[in-house]
Formats: sequence, structure tokens, C-alpha cells
Amino acid sequence: MTNAFGRFGAPTLSALLLGLALSLGLLEILPELSHLTDTSTGYDAKRLMLVYSTLPRMATALVAGAALALAGTILQQVLRNPLASPTTLGVSAGANLALVSAMLLFPSLSGLTRDGVALLGSSFAALAIFWISAKHGFSPFALVLSGLVVGLWCGAAAAILVLMNDQYLSGIFIWGAGSLSQQSWAVPFSLAPKVCLLAVLALLATRPLLLAQLGDAGARSLGLPMKWARLFALSVAIALSALVTSAVGVIGFVGLVAPQIARLVGARHMISQLTWSPVIGASLLLLTDQMIKLLSPGDFIPTGAVTALLGGPVLIALLPRLDIAPRALPAPSQSSTGFDPAPTVAVALIVLVLLITAAGVFLGRSPDGSWVWLPIEAWDQILPLRTPRVIAALGCGLVLGATGLILQRLTGNEMASPEILGVSAGATTGVASALLLFSAPGLATQLGFAAAGALMVLVLIFLISARSGFGPNRVLLAGIAIGAMLDAGIGVLAASGDPRGLALIRWMAGSTYFVDNAIAGTALLISAVGLAAALLLCRWLALLNLGPETAGELGLDVRVARAVLFGLAALMTAASTLVVGPLSFIGLMAPHLAQGLGFRQPASQLWASASVGACLLIIADWAGRMIAFPYQIPAGLLSALVGTPVLLMLLRRRV
Amino acid sequence: MKRRDVLVSALAMTISPSLAATEAEGERVVSLDYGLASTMLALGVTPTGVVSLKNWDEWVAEPRMPPGVIDLGTTAEINLEVLVSIRPSLILSTPFLAALDGKLSAIAPVATFTIYAEGGEALDRSYIETLRLAEILNRSNQARRFLADADAFFDRLKERIRRFSPPPVAVINFVDQRHARIYGGPGLYGGTMKRIGLENAWNGQANYWGFETIGLERLAELDEGTHLIAVAPLMPSDVFSRLQESPLWTSLPFVRRDRVSTIPGVLMFGMVQEAMRFAALVADKIEAAHR
Repeated sequence: MTNAFGRFGAPTLSALLLGLALSLGLLEILPELSHLTDTSTGYDAKRLMLVYSTLPRMATALVAGAALALAGTILQQVLRNPLASPTTLGVSAGANLALVSAMLLFPSLSGLTRDGVALLGSSFAALAIFWISAKHGFSPFALVLSGLVVGLWCGAAAAILVLMNDQYLSGIFIWGAGSLSQQSWAVPFSLAPKVCLLAVLALLATRPLLLAQLGDAGARSLGLPMKWARLFALSVAIALSALVTSAVGVIGFVGLVAPQIARLVGARHMISQLTWSPVIGASLLLLTDQMIKLLSPGDFIPTGAVTALLGGPVLIALLPRLDIAPRALPAPSQSSTGFDPAPTVAVALIVLVLLITAAGVFLGRSPDGSWVWLPIEAWDQILPLRTPRVIAALGCGLVLGATGLILQRLTGNEMASPEILGVSAGATTGVASALLLFSAPGLATQLGFAAAGALMVLVLIFLISARSGFGPNRVLLAGIAIGAMLDAGIGVLAASGDPRGLALIRWMAGSTYFVDNAIAGTALLISAVGLAAALLLCRWLALLNLGPETAGELGLDVRVARAVLFGLAALMTAASTLVVGPLSFIGLMAPHLAQGLGFRQPASQLWASASVGACLLIIADWAGRMIAFPYQIPAGLLSALVGTPVLLMLLRRRV
Repeated sequence: MKRRDVLVSALAMTISPSLAATEAEGERVVSLDYGLASTMLALGVTPTGVVSLKNWDEWVAEPRMPPGVIDLGTTAEINLEVLVSIRPSLILSTPFLAALDGKLSAIAPVATFTIYAEGGEALDRSYIETLRLAEILNRSNQARRFLADADAFFDRLKERIRRFSPPPVAVINFVDQRHARIYGGPGLYGGTMKRIGLENAWNGQANYWGFETIGLERLAELDEGTHLIAVAPLMPSDVFSRLQESPLWTSLPFVRRDRVSTIPGVLMFGMVQEAMRFAALVADKIEAAHR
């Protein structure tokens, strides 16, 4: 892995970066420096700003950047995973979610117990992903995938809290987006000693970690309690990320990029990594912050969201370096050789779909809140409002259930789902652009932009994954990385406090609210066409499940088959996202429930999965309309609440 | 005043005759916007339904919403089933809900009022839209009286304030310990301050909703004589005690001279009623501190 950067060496690059960052900082404060010494004039706003805002802000950037880089280095070394970092493992997002919840529940408590709450949140996130990936020997892929999913979910859960308390919108988003703005030395002064202490602890952990570089076997033969050494080092890293999040919010990707740069310029060994990557991280964060101030003076742009935007492409570029074992053999439970349950089960399932659809339309509450089976005299009034929503939920549920099954079979990965493709995040970005470009875009405009956004991500995923021959796991990881990046972009918009941010969160919440007859009809049509196409392609799915070699021998062009199936799945995802938002997780749950019912053959499993998806989404939509009547909770959020624990259980069972 | 009168008469001609002709008596008018709802109350019409009724007391506070008004759910998802079942004869909406127009107009005629949008002052537009609303509700006389009262009210305040030389005023909303929204630009708070002769200490940019999100350090840019007004909703309960730890905050001239006041909730995205309430609250605080 020698390259052109190698000969410059880590110290040189670190010095260069730090020099650049500091000189940009100096450029900012140079005109004001005279105010420092001149204390005669009494109130001097410039002096006040310099001493209590500009300088502490720079110090905060340096300390936070160094702490995150250190955390990233430890995580990458201990887990022997080049993609590990506070962001990619969901640790920062966990801390953020805990802080947001605490701020909403106990607004006055947050000041005192902030660090503790953040630590609790990040520890929970870390425990979740370690628990999930423990079964897979902490494989790099399992860790990063579960980390990104936990991160996305924490973001979604924070969005739910915001939606329920929309007046808190701007505050929470500023926190989530990581603003470095300071009015005193309190943050850097309290953060720096804690970080230093943890850095010392990290150095203490170095010796066993050094041995860890020899591999577990080597270390164990020396009689070292490797497990405890690793746990200790990981705890230090988690504490570092939690403290930074508690102090300034989520600063995305610095912890991923800094150690990568350090390694790239030749810092291979543990000691040099631990030395140089914090310097690089500190410089990077200060540099980013100075650039933001330089390029858009006066605007409120949270630095953390910008680093996340910049870091997303880096993560995607790093994907090829992640060691992902090709998945030649299908998981046994996905095998297509089993028997299907008796036809009565299939018939019962279809009857169930019809029954639930009917209940969704006719069972509801009257304006005074009492439960009613819709009386005939109210039909012409209520049905035009309710039916399109239920029909759209039916159509999208069918589409998501089918798409989920296609993706899971295609990737041989039980936790694949349309949400994780990132296409839905693309649609969200499209809506965001529409809201930015027009002061009050109509529904058609929003839908058009959403479709364009979804299509762009689809093309991007195609381009990225074509290089790796559509290696299934890499496609998933690329998709979720794009999703994380787009989330950051939306964070920038929402943090400005613009009421349009609320419209965006509403969109992400995935509600059937804006569905009309035309959309409902379209959803139903798409589900019919999509299902028909999927059923026709079922033979390909069955062949691909035999493994690429066998499939090739049987006369299937594996690349074409995969591209077509991915294309179909992506189009269906885009269509359903337009209605129920990016985070329903229906596509994840439905195939597993279908399998639980005993369906094994691709065709019948596809049909069953689609039916189950429809049932789930109709129920979620109905429950969302009923629970807090007359206030409505979007279907996408409700099903995500249920879907994520399912996802985490599945992640543990198999990645 | 002259400019506004011209605008008003120009606008009156553009009102669609079908809407203008409807009778206000026995009407069931629902409002999907707080500002429009409070303007209805000012014109003596009680709305049949209002969005987010349960948050009215925190954000609007005055005027009180009479009992018996039906809650239509959040602005994000107005409950259309409730809306249709109370059989409204007219729905008052804003451009912010444009995506809903198709569904709303299937239920009842929709009248859209533009207060917060590019290229206009919220207070000027509130006057214009109050008259248009009154025309539709057949309450034009009440509206003219209401607006004349408002003008007299503002003039009285202006006169009162002019007697002592008022300091520049900055109005903020604490978002958390390090950030705030500061009000100005074309928004209601900014326009109202201008109307009663108060200088807004914040000359920086603001969106058409009339606020800008800032780090608190930017308060140091404000004029030294500034009086700071913090609006209560959203304010973290410990914010002032925590800010005592910030040397920047404690060195700010208005903090040192104790020129910081808190006022209760006044809808910052409201109309004339809210402007009056805001003007009175601010004028009282300023007068108490500077007379």
C-alpha cells in the first residue's frame, strides 16, 4: 500500500494541514489583534468577540477534532476495520438521540447531566452494534452496516421527537447538526482535560493493542487478556465520542477521515497513528470551520453537518478497501427447495389483506373521538378522504414487500431492504431542493423533484456497484452511505430554523396524508406492474440463489440479471418512497413474516411477502390515524418504530 | 398610511365576487392559521375549527379562543375527516399549505391569505389581508374600525415612547444556551417595532418569516445602548443562570446595565392582533426600564 504520499510522511502532512488551518484562523483574527492589548476603551465588542467567541471556537474545533480522530483511530485499530469511526458505528448518533430525548423530557436537567446522558446514549448504540456483530466475529462489514443502521435509526427517532414537538424544531437540529459557535471558554476548558485524560488512558491501552496488531493468536499466546484490553480501548473511544457530542453535537466523519489520511501518508504503526491522526483531525475540523466562516460570513451553517456532507463521499471512496467476503452460497433458510404451506394458507392470506383493507377504510373515529364503523350516510363525505390513503398503503405495502424479498434474495442478505438502498434518501433530497427553490411548491412539483432525486441516487449506486460487479453487500453499504450523507445535507437546511424544515421532516416521516385518487391509483398500478414483472423474473432469482457460478453454468448472464433485478427494485422503491417516505422498514419485515408463514418457493414467497407488506402498512397507517386522534402520526414513522428492532434482531442472526 | 390605502382599494377589486357575496351570519368558517383565527376573533367571528388548538395558549395566548371550537389536529396533518364532518362553509388557508389546496377545495371554498412570503412586509400585508378577510366575512365595517383602532393604538404607543428617547431594541428567542433566533427583516416583530418608532438593533439579514438563527456571540455586534427582549416560548428554564458563566454574555452592555427583559408568548407569525400585543408588551418593558 505504498503510494506517492508515503514519502512526505505523516509528520509533514500533519504540520502542513495544521499550518494551513492555523493561518486561516490567523487571517481571521489578525485585523482584530490590536483590540487584545487595548483595554482602555471600556466596552469593545470586537475584543469581546475575539476573546470569548472566535478564539474559544477555534480551540473547540481543535479539541473536538483531535478527540474524534483519536476515537476513530482506536476504533479502527481495535476492530481492525478501516471504516470504523464514531459516525459509521452510530455512536455519535446514539449520544445525540439520548441528548434530544433528555432535552425534551427534562429541559432543565440537560445542563447538569449532559455528559452522562450522552455517554449513556453512545454506550447503548455501541452495545447494540457489538451485540449484533459479536456473532459474526466483529466482522468489518457487520459492524459498519449495523453501525450505519443504528445511526440512521437514531436520526429517525430524533425526527419523531421533533415532529411530536414541532416548536423545538430548530434547537434540536442545531444540536444534531453540530454547531461550534461559542460564547465562552467553558466548552473547550471542560472538554480539553477530559480528552487529555482519555488520551492518556488510550496510550495505556497501546501496549496490548500493539500486540493486537500481530493478530489475536499472537496476543493470546503471550497470555494477555485480549478481550479486556479491547473492551478498555473501545470504552475510551466511546467516551471520547460521547463527550464531544455532549459538548458541541454531532460532528460527522472527522473520526473516519483523519485516521485514514494518517494511514495514507504512512502512519501505519499504532504509536504513529495515535500521534498523528489527532493532529490531522484537529486541523481538518478547524480548517472546515474556518472555510465555512470565510465562504459564508454571517450565515448560520452548522459545522458538523458540513463535515458529514464532505465525509460521505470519502466513505464511499473507501468502500473498496473494506474486506467483504463474496457470498457465493445462499443462506440455508433462503433456499428455494423447501415446500410451500397448504393452499389454504395462501387463500387465508389474501382474505386477510381484503379484510384489513376493509377495516382500514370503515373502522375509525368520529370527531368527538368515539369509535364508529362508518355509517352509510357518512360514506360520501368520509370515503373520498379515507379510501385513497388506504389504497395507497395497500399499493405501497405490496411494492415494498415484494421489493424487500427481491433484494434479500438478490443479496443473499436477510437484512437487505429498500430503505437501505439509499434511493429513498435521494427522493428526500429531491423534495428538499424543491422546497428550497420554490417558496411553496405544489404536490406535483414535490413529487417530480422526489422522483428525480431517487433516480440520481439509483444511477450513482449503479455506477459505484458496477465497478464491483454488483457485489451485493457493497451495493447495500454504498446505498446506506449515500443515505447518511443526504441526511447531513437535510440537517444543514433544517438547522437554519426555516419552517420549511418542518415540511421536510414531515416528508421523511412518510405519511399517506397527501395521497389523492390519482396517486392512490398510480400506487396500485405500479404495484400491479411491479409484482407482475417480479413474478416473471422469479426464475432468475431462483437461479441466482444457487450461486453465481452455478447460475452462470445454467446459462444465466449473472451481471445482466442482477442489474435488471436491482433496477426493478430501485424503481419500485422510488415509487413507494414518494408515498410513504424513506423509513418504513416494511420491505425488511414482510419477507421474514412471509417466511415465518412457511412460504419457501420464490414465486409464492414473493406474493406472500407483498401481501404481508400490504397488511403491515395498512395497519400502520390506520394506527397512525387513530392513536392520537384528531392528531395524526405518519405511517412511515410508526412502522419504523416497529421495524428497527426487527432489523436489529435480524442483523444479529445473520448479516 | 396613504400607500396602504391605495393597496387596499386595489386589492378589494380583485376579490372574487362569489366569495365576497357570501353571508357571514350562520357561517361555519375554519382557520388553518393562528393569525387568521385571531383576526377572525377581532372581527367578531368565532371560528368553527382551528389547527393545533391545544398549543394556542402557549403560542398566541391572547386573545383567548372561546370554548366549543374544534381542534383540527397539527398543521403538518390537518385532520381532513374532522374538517369535512364539521361541514365548514369556508376554509381560511395560507400559501404554506398550498399542497393541500386540492383536497381542501373539495370540502369547502378555500380563501388563501399571504402574510409571510418573499417581497413584502408582514405588518403591511396583515392590514391588507385583514380587510380582504373582512370583505369575505362581510365584516368590512368592523375591520375598518379594528384597523383604525390598531393605528390609533400604535400611534399612542409611538407618542408614549417618543417622550423618553428609546434605546434600540433587539428581540430574540433562546433556542438553547448557545443559539437564538433574532427577529427583524420583513417579519411581524420587526415591522411592529418600526411602526411604534422603536429602532431594531438587529440590522442583519432575516428570512421572510422575520428571523435569523445566530450564535449568541453575535449579540456583541449590537449597539451598546441596546435593550434586549427575550420572548418566552422555547426558552430553556435555566438559560439565564447558565449564561452567567459566559464572560461574553456578562460583558454585553445590556446585560451589565440590566437591560434584558422577558415577555410572554406572542405569535411571531401572526397578524395585527399579535402586532398590537407585541407592541404593548415591548413598550411597557422599555418604558419601565428607561423612563
